[in-house]
Amino acid sequence: MVGWLLITPALVYFVVFLLYPAGAALYYSFTDWNLRSPAEWVGLQNYSDLLFEDVKFPHFWKSVQVTIQYTLIAVPLTLITALGQALLINAIRRGSNLFRLLLFLPVVTAEAAVGAIWRWLYDPQYGLINAIIGLFGIPKQNWLNTPELVIPALAFIAAWQCGISMIIYLAGLKGIPDSIREASIIDGAGPVQRFWKVVVPMLRPTTFYLVVTGVIAALQVFGLVYVIFSGGGGRSVTGGPEQSGLMYVLHLYLFAFRYDAMGAACAMSFLLFLLIMIVTALQFKFIKQEAA
Amino acid sequence: MIRRVTGAAAVAALLAGLTACGGSEEAAGSTTLTYWMFQDRTPQAGEVVEKIRTDFEKANPGVTVKIVKIPKDDYNTKLSSAVAANTVPDVGVLDQPLVARYAMDGTIKELPAGTVNEADYFEGALNTNRWNGKLYGLPIDHTAVALFYNKKLVPTPPKTWDELKQMSDAIHKADPKVAGIVVPKGDGYGAWMWPGVVHGAGGEMVDEANKKVLFDQGPAVEALQLWVDLLPSSPREITDSEMAFANGLAGMMISGPWDVATIKDQFPELDFNVAPLPYKTTPAGNIGGENAVVFTKGQNADLAWKWLKHLTSSENNTVYAQALGGFPINKAAAERDAGSFGEQQQGFLEQLKVAHARPAVPEWIQINDEFIAPAIEAALSGKQTSQQALTEAADKTRALLGWNS
Repeated sequence: MVGWLLITPALVYFVVFLLYPAGAALYYSFTDWNLRSPAEWVGLQNYSDLLFEDVKFPHFWKSVQVTIQYTLIAVPLTLITALGQALLINAIRRGSNLFRLLLFLPVVTAEAAVGAIWRWLYDPQYGLINAIIGLFGIPKQNWLNTPELVIPALAFIAAWQCGISMIIYLAGLKGIPDSIREASIIDGAGPVQRFWKVVVPMLRPTTFYLVVTGVIAALQVFGLVYVIFSGGGGRSVTGGPEQSGLMYVLHLYLFAFRYDAMGAACAMSFLLFLLIMIVTALQFKFIKQEAA
Repeated sequence: MIRRVTGAAAVAALLAGLTACGGSEEAAGSTTLTYWMFQDRTPQAGEVVEKIRTDFEKANPGVTVKIVKIPKDDYNTKLSSAVAANTVPDVGVLDQPLVARYAMDGTIKELPAGTVNEADYFEGALNTNRWNGKLYGLPIDHTAVALFYNKKLVPTPPKTWDELKQMSDAIHKADPKVAGIVVPKGDGYGAWMWPGVVHGAGGEMVDEANKKVLFDQGPAVEALQLWVDLLPSSPREITDSEMAFANGLAGMMISGPWDVATIKDQFPELDFNVAPLPYKTTPAGNIGGENAVVFTKGQNADLAWKWLKHLTSSENNTVYAQALGGFPINKAAAERDAGSFGEQQQGFLEQLKVAHARPAVPEWIQINDEFIAPAIEAALSGKQTSQQALTEAADKTRALLGWNS
């Protein structure tokens, strides 16, 4: 009895803000609904139109492709950057708090500001990125306006925002018992060997957690893309040059709030839900999770 | 443990972002008229609106006008929720492209015949309220894009397409680091501007009455080809730089009045002016701005139309439109008060006289974003010819609308 009372706040929140909207969205995904007229039951039509009707949803599969490509690049890049930063912070004796703060700042910066900053950094004429690659003799690139470069450019921003993964890796590193490290040193292992044979295996549960949550987050990326590509004119939300940055959720958002097709948008969200479930299940089945 | 945490995280992350809320309140008074509009852009704009409101209440004893101001970015979401929840205002602002949709499903009322004298309004602005030949609202202000030009690089603004191309070539030849003109992109924004160019070649986007898609015809193809032809003298690596025109990297650009204030504020030393868009056969342009409509489920419809007449009267419309950041849609007001607009704004006033409303097709935003924008992009990137790209887009539009030609 008391137990139920104690979880009531969380339960009410869960039912009102998560369970009910999700149930309603599932219902609306089987309807034709524009938010104004009564929803009309259409059965599975939204789903079949999304998957097979090129006229109604000409960019649906493009958005799937873009999102998967982004995920495949952004997740590994984020993890490698996070682990690198965590190792560096773990290695220094003084000032680690300061660096931890600095590296975490991108996470707590407002998305609109992040978008504006990176538009400047990627600027084809005055951008810092072009200035830096220019030092190595690489010609200037028009990052956000060349279809092939859009996804890598966005993934790079995601890696820059890896602060949360970095903190979790840092915690994982602190959790590796000193005795193991000392034993490996006594056994004559060098720093490289220690990294591959001790640190990486010991961090496996952490890495697994970060891969799973990272993939889920990457498949749902929205805010940053929206901000990056709605700059300038202010209305150009169509996902960058040749739809090269048309992420799944941005596409969904456009149908929900710009093209008046809330029913189809709900169907899209459930297709994404299914995809994420499948991907997550496969990860649990095929990736090693235990520390070794 | 990890299993449970990730599971919960997965569910939580997925379900977030599926909700939206809205609502409205009632106020006391013998008759209360509720009016929804975008949030004021400046405190001065708020004072203008307040003055117009009290004038109306004085002229109509016993009436209270309750104005609800909503940030522009949230407005459509809020309004949709209000319609779904039956809590609509009596009268409110509505984006131009939404009028056809809201009229189609009966969310808004038709303007009763004889309410206004249509000749008092600019035709283009009035037409943005038309669906199936009938008016479903009134324009309250309008705006357009026009040609910004850097006076140092462009002594006299080009009037025709040929002059525009020559000017662009000359600028880029004189200094290869400077582009002739910022050529719009193949995105939703570029696709919104493009019909103004099509009309400038004497073309039309669609013929709603006869259900014909026309943007694969000669004038539209020429209009797109114009942009393609401008690219060699206006390289993207220059014009894609942030604020390329304001930085002096491009001699011209196509944009709206909102950029005048930004440039003057951030680049005070830039000497620029605004001229109507160059044309091929007929001066023409596109149109944007705000309409106001009366909601079917609201109250006091007669009073609501009276309020809209008040907002668009020749006495009030100039100050109200200026408060909204646009231009008067009342011809008498525009003519009388032209002097109260700044140097750069004169170009827009000129442009708006020949503005064309976008097609009154409920699916237009989607067609604009999903078919026309990619076609423009395909032609500009050289992946397709202008004709191929537009033929494809027009065919898809026909299929979506179920039109035969």
